[in-house]
Order: sequence, then C-alpha cells, then structure tokens
Amino acid sequence: MTPEPVARAALRRPILVAFAAAAYVMAAWMVTPGFYDGISPQQPYNFTSPPPQAPPGNLQPRPGHLVIKVIDGVSDANSAFTEDGQVVVGFLPGAFNVTGKTTITVDITPESIFTTPTGLHFATNVYLITADAPLVKDVNLVLRYSDVVPAPSNVYWAAASNSPWKSIGGQEGQPFTIQTTTRQLGYFAAGYPGNATRSSPSAGSQLLPIAVAVLILGVLIAGIPLAVVRRRRAAGEVDEPDEEDEA
Amino acid sequence: MISALATRPAVRAAMIGAYILLVEWTRALAYRVPEAAVASVVLGAAALAVTVIGWPAGRLGLGTSRLGLRILGGLALAAVLLLPAAVRASSAPIIPASLALTAVTISVAQELAFRGALYAALEEAGGAPVAILGSTVAWTAAHALSHPPAFLGAVAAAGLLLALWRWACRDLVAPIIGHVIADLAL
Repeated sequence: MTPEPVARAALRRPILVAFAAAAYVMAAWMVTPGFYDGISPQQPYNFTSPPPQAPPGNLQPRPGHLVIKVIDGVSDANSAFTEDGQVVVGFLPGAFNVTGKTTITVDITPESIFTTPTGLHFATNVYLITADAPLVKDVNLVLRYSDVVPAPSNVYWAAASNSPWKSIGGQEGQPFTIQTTTRQLGYFAAGYPGNATRSSPSAGSQLLPIAVAVLILGVLIAGIPLAVVRRRRAAGEVDEPDEEDEA
Repeated sequence: MISALATRPAVRAAMIGAYILLVEWTRALAYRVPEAAVASVVLGAAALAVTVIGWPAGRLGLGTSRLGLRILGGLALAAVLLLPAAVRASSAPIIPASLALTAVTISVAQELAFRGALYAALEEAGGAPVAILGSTVAWTAAHALSHPPAFLGAVAAAGLLLALWRWACRDLVAPIIGHVIADLAL
C-alpha cells in the first residue's frame, strides 16, 4: 500500500470516533440533561409547584389514606403512604391512644398553601399528615425528593399552616429519600436552611461546567507533551508492542 | 457444551449477550424497589463482571501500554459525555454522595461486560463492525427498562462512541474512566 492510502486508513479511526462524539453531543442535546445512566430515581417527582429545572409533564402529587384497625385495645402496626409513594409513615403497634375507638384514620394531603418559611428552602412538597387519634409513640416518616433539587438536610415540621417551622432532624434512607421519627403530626416537608442555597443545587450544577472545562483543559495540556513524545518515538525508536497483539 | 462454545464464536457471543441483557433487565426491575435499590446495583455489577472470566486482559482492551494516552482518552470521553449536561447545568440531576460508590461499581462493570467481553466475543464471531454495532444494540436494549424512551437515542449514541473508541484504540481503559467520571458527575 502506498503511503497516501496508509495515511488515509490511519485517519479513518479518529475521524469515525470524532463523528461519533459529535453524534452523541447532538443526541444528548435533545434530552435533558444529556448523559444519565439511570442512577437517578426512576419515577419523576410530582411537585405541587414545579421548579424551573423540573422536567416537563409534571403531575400533581397524590394524597394518601389509611384506616388502622384497633385490635384488643391496641392500634395495629401499619404504614400510610401517598398514592405516588412520595411520603410513607410507619406506625408501630400501639402508636395511637385508641380510647373509645375501633379504627384510626390517617390522611396525607399535599399542601400548596402554607406559611412560607423564612430562612428555609424546601426540597419537597409540604404534606399535611393527620389522624383522628393522638400519637403516643414515635412514628417513622420517609419523604422522597427529586434529583433536580439539592438533597435536603432536614425534615421540618409545623403544627398548623401558620405556625413556625421547626427542624426534626433527618437522615438519608434509600436513594433520594430522607427519613426521621416524630411524635407529632401536622405539616411536614424536607429542606435545608436558606443560607445553604448558595452551596447547593446551584453549586452542584455550577461545578459541572467547571469540571468539564477542567477535563477539556487537562486533555489539551497533557495531550501536547504526549503527542510530542510519540512523534519523537516514531521518528527514532521502535514502538512498544501492544498486549492485544501478543494475546 | 463447553467445547461447542469454544468452537462456535457466534454461539458464545449470543450467550454472553443474552446473559448481560438478563442481568441488566433484572437489575433495572429490582432497582425500582426502594429497599433493594443499592443491593441491585452492587449485585448486578458483580454479575456483569463475571463475563470477563476466561478472557485475556489484552483481548478485553485492558492493556497497560501507553497508559498515559489511555487515561487522557478517558478524560476526553468524560468531557464529551458531560458536555450537554454541563452546558445546561441548571437541569442536571444531582447524585447523592452515598450513591457515588454504586455509580463507580456499575459503570466499571458495564464497560467490562459490554465493551469488554461482549465486544471481544462479537469481534471474534463477525469482526469489528459486528462488535461495534452489536455491543451498541445490546447496550441500548439493556437500558430500555431503566430509561425513558426519549433517552434511548442518547444512550445509543454514547454506546456507539465508547464502542468506536474500543475499536479505534483497542482500549477499554478510556471508556471505563470516561463512564465512571460521567456517572459520578451526574
């Protein structure tokens, strides 16, 4: 083969890779956010008021309803959850004061009208959890959150719609959930302090362009000396054999 | 049966492909159960990694020659994979730190399976074009249960890019590095 076809053949591979890269960028550009390998939650979060970065097609969050039986004077163990699974409340046996009751009714309602908390930023919807009997034991509360907002650091509680919000702690449970325990029902939401907004999802999303820029810069900077070294080797030395050629 | 697999590359490639798809689809279904999400990723990664047993490292593209270039290639692939999301940073998902290890695990395992073992088996059976297209088709099909249909075009394009790199450079190190960085960032 003459040198010119050899040169063309040698160029074919990087050209095809470059075309594939361009095709990927175009294909990924058509969907938000581009590359995404399924580590994020499968089910989109249903917002009462979707943020600007939420994907299109938001559905309104669903409520939950549960009737807990009272057996031998003790409320049964059970879990109440919203129909979309965004809130789960777990009740141990005897969680309620069941005086005069044969059943306990629990309702979970997504709320769009509530006192805007000062100094707080909510990552989830606000939910009103009510029961027709008082709690006498802690219950386990799990709130799911979206992957397009920063992970909340705490669960917040308010006794009434115009009451101040109070942190009741929280720890990460399964992926994209935060859980805590509480002895009181009322309004619940997961979020983080307002002064943390500058370090959060926007911080995460600002880091991404910086990280990509650093990667590109690193490739360019490191690529130049490597290319020089390879040219010198090609000019005066024998290339080291490839393991695949020896296999 | 083992001798039949050894003498019939097409059969071996088909069995590896079917196994990989079964693992990925099972993992995608198990991931939907909140309590099983992390375990499904870790176990799925282990099941995928099994596919490289018996393959020499060189045939899988896991050489150490020109390691600097391979690493550089991985960084370049990561930059390309992340470019669309970086430009639209406000809409990028944010992966919790606790999922970082699972993200690394599954991305390494997927590269070993798709662009490692499956690619090598398909190349043995039908040459490079079959390996590139076959591994890309399998990669896309494997993501059908874990991704909305609208994303499968981008998934296929990413698979094609990584498979073409595997062919052009006879290298799997760069796809592993690129895939890991991209998964960690998103």
